[in-house]
Formats: sequence, structure tokens, C-alpha cells
Amino acid sequence: MSGIGTGYDLSTGTFSPDGRVFQTDYAQKAVDNSGTVVGIRCKDGVVLGAEKLIISKMLEQHSNRRTFPADRHAGMAVAGVAADGRSVVSRAMAEANQYKSIYGEAIPGHVLAERLGSFMHLFNLYGGYRPYGVSALLATYGKEGPQLYLVEPSGVTYRYFGTAVGKGRQGAKNEIEKLKLGEMSCREGIQAVAKILHQVHDEEKGFEMELAWVCEESGRHFQRVPQQLADEAEAAAKAALEAEDMDD
Amino acid sequence: MLHRPTSHSAAIGPGPVPSLANPGPALEQQPRHAPQAPSCGSEAFCVDPQALSSSHPRQHTQYPYVTGTSVLGITFKDGVLLACDTLGAYGSTKRYKSFDRLRKVNDVCMVGASGELSDFQYIMRLLEELSDDDFCMDDGHHLKPAEVHSYLTRVLYNRRNKMDPLWNSLVVGGFHSGKPFLGTVGMIGTSYTDAHLATGFGNHLARPLMREKHHPDMSEEEAVALMHECLKVCYYRDKNSINKFQLAKVTKDGVSISEPFALETNWGFKLFQNPAANAVGTW
Amino acid sequence: MATALPVRAQVPAAGQATKQHASWSPYDDNGGTVVAVAGDDYCIVAASTRMSTGYSILTRNKSKILRLNPKCVVASAGMQADMETLHKMLHSRHVTYQFNHRRPMSCPATAQLLSNTLYYKRFFPYYTFNLCAGLDDEGRGAVYTYDAIGSYERVGYGCQGSGKELIQPVLDNQLKAASPLVLPQQQWLSSLPLEQAVDLVKGAFVSAGERDIYTGDDVEILIITKDGIRTDSLQLKRD
Repeated sequence: MSGIGTGYDLSTGTFSPDGRVFQTDYAQKAVDNSGTVVGIRCKDGVVLGAEKLIISKMLEQHSNRRTFPADRHAGMAVAGVAADGRSVVSRAMAEANQYKSIYGEAIPGHVLAERLGSFMHLFNLYGGYRPYGVSALLATYGKEGPQLYLVEPSGVTYRYFGTAVGKGRQGAKNEIEKLKLGEMSCREGIQAVAKILHQVHDEEKGFEMELAWVCEESGRHFQRVPQQLADEAEAAAKAALEAEDMDD
Repeated sequence: MLHRPTSHSAAIGPGPVPSLANPGPALEQQPRHAPQAPSCGSEAFCVDPQALSSSHPRQHTQYPYVTGTSVLGITFKDGVLLACDTLGAYGSTKRYKSFDRLRKVNDVCMVGASGELSDFQYIMRLLEELSDDDFCMDDGHHLKPAEVHSYLTRVLYNRRNKMDPLWNSLVVGGFHSGKPFLGTVGMIGTSYTDAHLATGFGNHLARPLMREKHHPDMSEEEAVALMHECLKVCYYRDKNSINKFQLAKVTKDGVSISEPFALETNWGFKLFQNPAANAVGTW
Repeated sequence: MATALPVRAQVPAAGQATKQHASWSPYDDNGGTVVAVAGDDYCIVAASTRMSTGYSILTRNKSKILRLNPKCVVASAGMQADMETLHKMLHSRHVTYQFNHRRPMSCPATAQLLSNTLYYKRFFPYYTFNLCAGLDDEGRGAVYTYDAIGSYERVGYGCQGSGKELIQPVLDNQLKAASPLVLPQQQWLSSLPLEQAVDLVKGAFVSAGERDIYTGDDVEILIITKDGIRTDSLQLKRD
């Protein structure tokens, strides 16, 4: 980042001479340093998975949530500053709630993603604010079928078949590209996600995996993958990885 | 719980977001007390500041338009039954003939409504919002029947305090921790629980039957039979009712609301054919 | 007639334009009678449990008594929705009082609080008729009687609600309240033994239940002594 020390990185209110808003780039950095978050769209739903680094041995299991419902049919996994993530999620809940109160039906995925994009974009416009240090993967299953979106700190919004953010994103994306997402069920998907998260995890400290999905099996409700299924997927993923290691 | 800056609700203060994050000019003038307001389900309690500042008197709901008639409720050994017809009447016109007046709130609770049906739909929207919030909190907690009943009591009472009543009598049926719950709320906030209830005309027509035949440990079959009898009596005497009913049940297995059904009636009773036979000079 | 409960149909007078719709009132009288009798070392509080509107009974089993602590209760007749709200308000005020003072609120303090709470709504009053009863700081029975907007007075016994015209004279006769005008001031606590006083209250309710349609079903009786609150009940006619 060549801008450091040049004075153009002090606020989002100023461009650098070569056309960057450094605060926005720094926010993206906060995301890039976070635990990996993976999302894939399978044929019958969307699976989200988060790698939660264990910051202390005394930490309670399942604490530091990374996946959150935003409505019955929509939920998010956030990478980056956890507190910022919760703020974005609460905005998503509010938007979903407001849409339903006006139109009487669930907010479509693309509307929610765009609204969150505009919301996060606002924080890139004013000197007094800082951008959200969060990339949010948004999984929805409405009338338009299962969909996966990514909202970045700059406010840009993408729709993906599968993507990853955070520390291990590069490796994870490579692995996702190898998957046949169009033929994969969510049951298979959770195992694939579990495998990818284990593959890209490269720290001595352990991590806890958080899996959530919205699919036919969950009645098109966004929910954490039932503990038993998640455990099975994780065990199968570990076994598959070990088998691959043996081959090498 | 997380503070939720809903974009439409004036109850929610601006918070630390750029002003543009709150869409629409209406949100520029938010009430000063806003941050103290609860962050969900609070709309019903909020006074529109413009209504207070305007010079001419505010026009409140003076009378209902589309109404539903009595809702009946009884407890039985392992649950609660609610029943009513499916009519939405516009005065004495049978305007909507398949209106669902029994609605599920969550797995342990349901609500039935008589009175103004648009007000009921508004009330259901409030309850849905609360149970959506419960879903999003994702901690396994949900509203219990007694809490729903208490909430509705506060909503209706607050609106009567503003001289702008929600024109309903509601019945709340639920089953939680092994016990049936049956409560009602009237449009000025009058609320009570009992082993059997009826709103409106039902209090005159069905309650006497219930008092005679109801006992708390009756079986589901007995309860359904009693309910059918009560519905039939209400249908015979209440001109704003139709022979198309729904029966809702809540037990430990959750809430189920039946498809509409009709009851067999007999109009051949002597007094139906000549009501004045034994009352010369009155009818 | 598809409308909700407290709708008063207007009967058009001859020659007047017919009024099309039911009028609406924010008030309703749900009836019921509450009685309290103070003794030297006890206080009896009793309330009927019938709840009515017009000529209909809504429920036969609705308590009208709020138990704040073992030495103080509030009993209210009148409109049930206002009663419920008032009781909720007093309850929450009592809880915060305990957080601040680390002890329950005394009966005289509750009495003043109730008065303030009622007067706060002076221009849109709670339609409730209250008695605050319990033991005072010296352990003597205390009864406070109110009007709907908060003026109150400590008395030796009191009666409020739909049956008060029937019961108050009986209590006056049996408990012989000395006029506050008599000098030197007279003892105004009843000197009846507890059991006799309970019988008197029960007898009064039986009589009121005979003539007042809003008093019936059951009577909830609380007997407050230094050892705590004991409950008793009395069945009235259900007609």
C-alpha cells in the first residue's frame, strides 16, 4: 500500500492522486486477515461455513457467532470485525422486516443484497465515518431459488456460485472451482465446505467450524446445520483429507 | 438484544449512521424520546407526533367496517380448541366468506379474532414481527402463550388510551410446559383467562352450554363435540354468522388449524317455524 | 351484532335521526366488591372474584387483589383493564423501591404512592376504586380508602365497588366507627377478635351477593398478621 504516510489515508473523504480511497482498502484488509468464510450454492440450497479461530482455551464452545439469520429465508456469514458484522446483520434484519411490512412477502435476495450494499457504501462517503470492516456472505432461498451474495466494505455486491473471504480465501476459491456445484446437494455441500475449511486452515491453534444453510431440508429456513450433521461432515472431511495425504 | 435501526419505524432513533442511511424525509423528524423506545414490537405504542401537533381534532376509528363474529375457545385434557366461522361481514352484508380468523403465532400459540378484521391483520403483523425476531435471535427462545396474551393486552389498552382503539376481541389459545392456556382481550384492554371463553354474542349463546358441559379433563373428542354444539347454537341465533367454520387445536404437538367445514343443521324445530307460538303479542 | 364487547347501542329517540353506529367508550364497569377491616394486630382484605360487563358474566375467577409484600396489599374494583394496569404499575414501582431501599415498601408509603399514581391520571382517570390495606410500622392493621382520582384517608375499615352501598352500612353498624368530629379523638380500629371479624366480612359478602348482581361466585379473603398472609375463601351464589 504505497499510500501509507502520504496523508491520503486519513479519511474516506479524500481520494489519493492515483484514485484510491485508502480507508476502504484498509477495511478490506481487516477482512482479509479474518478467519476464512466460505459460501457455496448447491442445487437445493446454499451452505455457509466459517472458520472461527480459537483465541483462548477458556472460550466457551459455540461462542463468537459468525453466522446469523436475517429473516426466515435469509442469513449471513460475516468475515472481518465481528462487532461490525453484527451491526450489518441487524441492518439486514431491519431491512427484511421493513420489506415484509410493506409488501407482505419475504424480501428477495437481490433486493436485500443491494440494500446492504448501499448501506455499507454510505460509510465510504463521509470524512466522519469509517467503512465497515466486514465482508458479508448472504444466503437466501426465496421465490427466485437459492442464491449467494457477497457484500464488501466498499459496498460492491456480487452474486456467486461459490466464493470465500478471509485469510484462506485464495486456496478456498481454488478448491471451490473444482466442485461441481450444479450437481451437488447441500448434504454433500456441508462436507465440501468442511473439507475446504480444514484444508486452508494453517495455524497451530485449532479452530471451530460454524456451518449454516438454507435449503430444502431446512424447510427453506436459514439455520445452523444441526450439530450431528455438522459433526459427521467434519469427521468425513478430516478422513478424506487424511486419505489424500496418504496418497501423496 | 441488538439495537435494530429499522428503516421505517419512527420508534427507532437515528443511531450512529449517516443520515442518508435512513431513507425518506419522514424519518428526519423522529421523536426525541426515540432511543428509549423498545427496539421491536413497539410501533403499536408509539404516538405519531404529527397527530398531536395538528390544529384540528384527529379522526379516530369511530366504528368497525368489516367484522367477524364470535370466537369460541375451550381447554381440554391435553390442549386448547378455538373455533369460529369464516365470515367477514360488511355491516350485514356477507362480504368475505372465507376469511381466516384463526391464526397461528408460533408452535405453542394461536390467536382468534372477532371485530374489525383489518385491525386483526395489523395485530397479526405485529405478532409476526415478534416471532420473526425470535427466529433471528436464534437462541431457541420464543413467546409463550401467556406472554402473547399479555402483549396483546398492552397493545389494545394503549390504543384505547389514545382514544384510537383496535376494534377487536381476541382469544389466545396455547399449550406450554404441559398446561393449556386460554385467555381473551377486549378492545379496551379487558383481559382474563378461563377454562372456556367466547367473545361477543358467543358469551351469551355458547358460554351457558360450556358452563354446563365443560370440564377441564375432557378428552379431545368430547371437546370437539361440545365445540360443534356451541358453533351450531351460535349459527342458529347469530344472523351475522355463516355455516362455514374452522376449528383450531393446540397441543404438545403444535398448532393445527382445520380446513373450513359445515355443520348439519335442523331448521324444523317448531319454534323456528313459528317463533311467536308461545309468546303471543311480543314478537 | 358482530362487534366486540363493550359497545353501547344507541336507541334513537323518536323524531331524531337514526344513529348508524355503536358509540365507543374507553370505560367499562366490570363490577365487584372489595372490603378491608383493620384490627389491633391484623388486617382482613376480601374481594369478590366475579368479573362482569353489563348483564353478562365474563369470568367467575378473577382476583382483584395485588399482593405487594407480606404486610401490604392493594384491592381494586371497577374497570378490570385499568385495575390490571394500575396493579402492574404498583408492582413495578415496588420492585424498584426494593432495589433502592433493600426492604419492602411499608403500607403507609404504598398508600401515598397509590394516591400519587391515581392523581397522575387526574384528567383521564383510572376507573378503579381502591383499598390499600396491611399492617403499619407499629404492627397495627391499616386500611386506606380512595376515590378514583387519588384522594385518600386512613380508616378502620372500608368497602369499595359495586356492593359498597350494601356492605358499608353493615360495617358502620357493627364496627361503630366513631365520628372523626368527636373530641377527644376516638379509637377507630375495630376491637373485634380476628375470627369474629372474618365472620363479619363473610356475612357482609353473603348479604351483598344476595342483592348485587355484580357480587358473586367466590370471595378471596386474605388475613394479614405479623406472621404473614393467610388465605381463606368463601363460596357465594353463582346466579
